[in-house]
Amino acid sequence: MTSTLNRRGFLQTTAAAALGAGLMPALARAQGEPLGIALVVPSPFGDVGWSHALAMGLDQVVAEYGDRVKITKLENIPEGPDADRIMNKVVADGNKMLIAGSFGYQNGAMQVARRNPDLSVLHASGFMVAPNFTPFAARNYQGTYLMGMAAAAVSKTGKLGSVSAFAIPELVSSINAFTLGAQAINPDIQVAVVWVNTWFDPAKEQEAARALLAQGCDVIYSNGQDTPSVVSICEETGAYVFNLNSSMLKYAPTKYLGCVATDWAPFFLQSVKAHLEGDFEGHTAYLGLAEGVIQPMDWNADIPSEVMTRITETQAQLTDGSMHVFTGPIARQDGGEAAAEGVILGDEDIVSMDWHVAGVTTPLPS
Amino acid sequence: MPVPLLSIRGLSKSYGAVHANRGIDLTVEKGSIHAILGENGAGKSTLMKLIYGVESPDAGQVSWQGKPVRPTSPAEARKLGIGMVFQHFSLFETLTVVENISLIVPGRTAALVTRIRDLGREYGLEVDPRAHVHSLSVGERQRVEIIRCLMTDPDLLILDEPTSVLPQQSVARLFDTLRRLRDRGVSILFISHKLEEIRAICDHATILRDGAVTGTVDPRDHDATDLATMMIGRDMPALPPATAHKPGKVALELAGLDHTPDDPFGQPLSKVALRLHQGEVLGIAGVSGNGQAELARLISGEVTLPDHRAAEVLMLGQAAGDLGAAARRALGFAFVPEERLGRGAVPEMSLADNTLLTAHRAGLVRRGMIDRAREAQFTATCIRDFDVRTPGPRTEAGALSGGNLQKFIVGREIMLAPRLLFVSQPTWGVDIGAATAIRRRLVAMRDAGAAVLIISEEIEELFEICDRVQVLNAGRLSPSMKVRDIRVEDVGRHMIGAAEGGAA
Amino acid sequence: MNLAGYRLARRDKASRKLAVVAPVVALLLSIALNFALYMAMGKNPVAVFQAMLIEPVISWPAFSEVLLKMTPLLLIAQGLAAGFRAKVINIGAEGQFILGAIFASAVPVWFPQISGLWVWPLMIVLGGIGGMLWAVVPAIWRVRLNASEILVTLMMSLIAAQLLNFLLVGPWKDPMGFNFPQSVIFPLDATLPLILPGTRVNVALAIALIWSVACWVYLQRSFQGYQLMVGGLAPQAAGYAGYSQSRAVWMSLLIGGLAAGLAGASEVAGPVGQLQRSIASGYGYSAIIVAYLGGLHPVGIVFSSLLIAILYIGGDNAMVSAGLPVAAVRVFQGSLLVCYLAAITLVRYRVIREPKGIRA
Repeated sequence: MTSTLNRRGFLQTTAAAALGAGLMPALARAQGEPLGIALVVPSPFGDVGWSHALAMGLDQVVAEYGDRVKITKLENIPEGPDADRIMNKVVADGNKMLIAGSFGYQNGAMQVARRNPDLSVLHASGFMVAPNFTPFAARNYQGTYLMGMAAAAVSKTGKLGSVSAFAIPELVSSINAFTLGAQAINPDIQVAVVWVNTWFDPAKEQEAARALLAQGCDVIYSNGQDTPSVVSICEETGAYVFNLNSSMLKYAPTKYLGCVATDWAPFFLQSVKAHLEGDFEGHTAYLGLAEGVIQPMDWNADIPSEVMTRITETQAQLTDGSMHVFTGPIARQDGGEAAAEGVILGDEDIVSMDWHVAGVTTPLPS
Repeated sequence: MPVPLLSIRGLSKSYGAVHANRGIDLTVEKGSIHAILGENGAGKSTLMKLIYGVESPDAGQVSWQGKPVRPTSPAEARKLGIGMVFQHFSLFETLTVVENISLIVPGRTAALVTRIRDLGREYGLEVDPRAHVHSLSVGERQRVEIIRCLMTDPDLLILDEPTSVLPQQSVARLFDTLRRLRDRGVSILFISHKLEEIRAICDHATILRDGAVTGTVDPRDHDATDLATMMIGRDMPALPPATAHKPGKVALELAGLDHTPDDPFGQPLSKVALRLHQGEVLGIAGVSGNGQAELARLISGEVTLPDHRAAEVLMLGQAAGDLGAAARRALGFAFVPEERLGRGAVPEMSLADNTLLTAHRAGLVRRGMIDRAREAQFTATCIRDFDVRTPGPRTEAGALSGGNLQKFIVGREIMLAPRLLFVSQPTWGVDIGAATAIRRRLVAMRDAGAAVLIISEEIEELFEICDRVQVLNAGRLSPSMKVRDIRVEDVGRHMIGAAEGGAA
Repeated sequence: MNLAGYRLARRDKASRKLAVVAPVVALLLSIALNFALYMAMGKNPVAVFQAMLIEPVISWPAFSEVLLKMTPLLLIAQGLAAGFRAKVINIGAEGQFILGAIFASAVPVWFPQISGLWVWPLMIVLGGIGGMLWAVVPAIWRVRLNASEILVTLMMSLIAAQLLNFLLVGPWKDPMGFNFPQSVIFPLDATLPLILPGTRVNVALAIALIWSVACWVYLQRSFQGYQLMVGGLAPQAAGYAGYSQSRAVWMSLLIGGLAAGLAGASEVAGPVGQLQRSIASGYGYSAIIVAYLGGLHPVGIVFSSLLIAILYIGGDNAMVSAGLPVAAVRVFQGSLLVCYLAAITLVRYRVIREPKGIRA
C-alpha cells in the first residue's frame, strides 16, 4: 500500500498530537503495524532518472510485501537542514526504514540513525557505515565500460564526450571505465568531459552538450542528469547518446545507444527482508552486474554485430568475475601508472578514484 | 414663459457624513452666462459633476429642456448637449492638437483641421491644429479644450475655474469668446470664486455655501463686498494696512542666475536677479510654467549649483548656491512649496509626523531619537494657532482639505521662526477666509523683521501683501517695481513679455 | 475604481483593528479555498490542515523546528523592511546571505582545529560584515551611477552563488570529502550553542529577537528611520526637507546586507554545520515576502516570519504525514499570500456602495 493518507494515517496523526510523539512507536508495534519505509530524494521523481529508479525499486518491494509495508515517498527535498528535519519527522511518524537518496543527506541521516537504533538506513553514494547504516552504490563503471565499447564502434570522429554532474569518485570512475571500454575497440579514442556542477539544471546541461557536439564529439554520455535534457539534444543533432539509471529511449528513438539501467529492487528486497528478520547489518553495498543491480539494456541496432557479440561476452565475464574493468596496465591522464600489468584495482581505489585515465582529454577539477 | 435649458430641483449628494450638496435649486436660461460662486469646499465641483454625469445624486430632479433626465456618464451628458472644460486639462502633451481632438471627435484629420480653424475664427479661439500640445501655452491649451467641447455642438458649456490658470490678457480674450458663444445661443455655467470676473461677464449668479444655495442674483447689481458676504456668510476680513518700515540687511540675493534644468520640458532661467531685505515682502508675479518651479527649487536648495557657482545665490549672508535644502534651512530659511501633498507634506503620515518633516530642528529630535511628547506639543500648537480644521494630530495629512493642509504647512514653517520665509502660491485653492488668514500671517512675519518671498499667480494677492513685485516670464525676471507706484496693468504687461528692456 | 456599484475610498487613517483582523481573514479564506482543492484531490482536508497548521504549533519538536526556520527569515526580513520603507528595493538578500555564510565559514575552513568560546561570535560578526560588503556594490552603483538597485542586487546574488560554487569545487573543498562540493564539517566551537535543550534551536534565535528590537527602535523611534520612511513614501518631500537620498540608499542596503549576512553566518554555523551549496535555499527571497506580509513593521514581521515558518514546517508535515504533493503545499502558501494582500487593502481603504440613479 503506497497510499500515504488513509483513515489510519489520520488517526495516527491525531493520536500523536494527543498523546505525544513519544508514544507512537509503541502504539504502532502493539497494533502490528506494517513496516514503514520512507524514501527521500532531492529531485522530482519524474518518469526517468535517478530518483525514478529508486522509486521503481520500492514498487517491487510493495509488489512483494503488499500490506506488510507502508511506503512514504518524498521528492524535491533540498539537502541541508530541511532534509535533516524531514528525516527526523519521518522517523517520528513511525517509519523504521529510511532510504536517503542523495550523498548530501549523509550527515543528517547518520544522526538520525544514531538516535534511533531500531531504524535501518540505506544511504546512497556515501562512505559512512554504522551498525544500522548501509551506504549503497551501483557499480555503474561496469555498465559504462560496455557502453564505451559500443561508443567507439559507432563513433566516426573518434571523439566521445560526457556531460557530468560533479567530479566525485562515482562519476569519475564511470568516465574512466567508459574510456577504457572505448579503448578496447579503438585505442586512439578521446573522451572530453564538461562538469556542470549540478544535479538538476536542464538548460545548463543542454548548453554543455552543445559545447561537446561543437567540438566534434559524436557520442555523448549523459552522466548524472535526472532529465532527458542531454538525451533529447543529441537526438535533435544526430549524435549517439546514453545515460544511467533508467531508460530514456523514448526521448531519442533513433540515436539512443543504450542504457546502463539500475534496478534497485534486488537490494531493497534483501534489505527489507533483513530488517524484518532482525538481522539488518550496516555494510558497504557496492552492487553491480553480479547482483543484478546494473542492467545494460536498449542497445542500438547501429552497433556492428561483431562488436555486440564482444560486448555480450565481456558482460558475461564481468558478471561472473572472470574479468575486471580496472585491470592493469592502466595509464593515468598525467602519464603516471595507475595499475601495473595484471594488477586489479580494489573497491577502495574505485570508490575514492580522483584521477582520470589516459584518453580523457579534460583535466579533472581539483 | 420659455422653458429653461437646465432646471434643477432639490439636488442632494453626500459622501459619508459630508453633505456636499443639499437641496440645490438652479435654473439656467438659454443664452445666459451663469456663475456658480462659492468658496473652496462649498460644493461647486460636486454640483458640476452631478450635472455632467460623473457622479449620481442621492436625491433631486434634473430637467433638460423641460424633460427629466438623469445622465449617468459624461458620454450621456455630451449626447444631451452638455460639454465641460475641467480645471486640469486632459490633453496628451506628445500629440498634436488635431490628434488630441480626434481621440474624442470622429472624422477625418483634414476635415477636423478645417473645423478647428473655422471654430477658432468664429469664436476667437485661434490655435494651430498641427502644433504639439507641449509647445502650447496654458491659454492655448484651454482653447483646445474649449474647441474640443464645441465640436460636439453643445447647448450648455460648463467651465470649471477657467481663469485660475490664465494671465490677465488671456482672461479678456476668453471672456470675448464666451460672449460670442452666448450670442450664438450657447449657455455657459461659469464656476469661479473671483468676484470681479463674475461681475464682468455673468448675467446670473447662484451662490453656494456649505453645499446649499444662499442666493441667486444678477451680479451686475451687487458689488464685490455683497457677493463675498453671501459667499462666506460674514463680512470679508480686511488686511491690516501695510505699515511703513525700513528694509534691513539683504536676506536673499540672486545675481544674474542662469540655469538649465535637467528636465527637457523645464523652463530655463536666464539672468535672474533679485534682492530681498529683512523686513520686506517681495512678490514674484507671472503665470505658472514660466520658470516658477525651477526658480523655487534653486532657492530652496532642492536643486543646487556646483561649488564654483555657490556665490550666485547669497542667502542670509552666505554663499549658498551649493548648499542643499537642509543646509539652507540651518541658515534660517523656511519654505512652503506649491505642491502640498507629496512635497510639503507626506500624505500617508499623520500631521504629527509631518511636523517632524522640517521642524525636527526645533528640538523635536534628541540624540537621534524622536521626542514624541515635543512633537505632539508642536503639532497641537500649530493646529490651534493656525486654525487647522482636523480631527486631531493623528489624522493623515492626505485626509485634510487643501486649504487646511496649507494652513498647517504655512504654520509649521512660520513656527520655525525663519529669518527668510519663501512661500510659493500661498493661497492656491484655499478658500477666502483661510487665504486672508495666511496673508495676514505673512505680513506679520514681515513686520517682525523677516524677509518674505512670495511666488503667486494672483496679482491681487501680491498687491495686497507685497512691498515690491517682479514678474517672471519665459524664464526672465523683470526689474523690481514698488507696488504703491504701479497698477495691475503694469504687471500684466510684463506677464506677456510686452515690457522688455530695463535692466534688472 | 468602480466595480458593480462598489468602490474603494481611502480612510482618514489606516484602521488598526483591521490591521490585526486582515491576516486572520486571509488565513480563513485561503483555508476555505484549499479545502475545496484537497477535496477534489481526494485528500482529507482536515488531516491536511491538522498536519499543516495545527501540528507545527502544538507539537514541541515541530514547533522548535518552526523557531529554527523562523530565525533567518526574521533576521533578513527586519533588515530588508528598513530599505523597503525607503523604497530601496534590495532583492539580493540571497547573495548577501551567501556572502555572510562564506565569511563566517572562512574561520573553520582555514583553521579546522580552532577552538574557544569566541569562535562563533567572531563568525557571526564576520558574516555580518560579509553581507554588508556585498551590499556596498549596489549602493555605490545606485548612488554614483544611478543604476537600479533592484537589478544590481539581483545580479550580485547570481555572482554570489557562483562564488560559493567556485569555493566549494575549488579551494574550500573538504580534502577528505571525495570531491563533493562542500567544506569541512565545522568543529564544535565553530557552531552556535543550542539554547533549547533537545532541539536544534540555537542562539541565533536570540540574536534575531534582539535584532528585531533594534530595528523597531531604529524605524519607529529614531529620526533616521523616520527619514527613510519619508524618502519611501514621498521622495519629493524628502528632497524638500533636505534629507539625503544617498544616505537613505546606503543605510538601506547596509542594514539589509548586515541582516542577511548575520542570517547566512547563523545558518552555516547553526543547523548546517558546514559550508555547502544547499545553504542558498531561498531565505533571501522568502524574506521579501515575510517583510511585506509583516507590513514592513518590526512587530508585524515577527508574526509574519513565524507564520511563514509554520507554513514551511507545516508544508513539510503535510508532505510527510498527509501525503500532500509539494505543488499543493506551494498552492496553499501562494493563495494565503494573495488573500492577505487583498485583505490588507481594507486596512487603508473602505468599500463604499454607490447608490444607483436618483431616488426622486
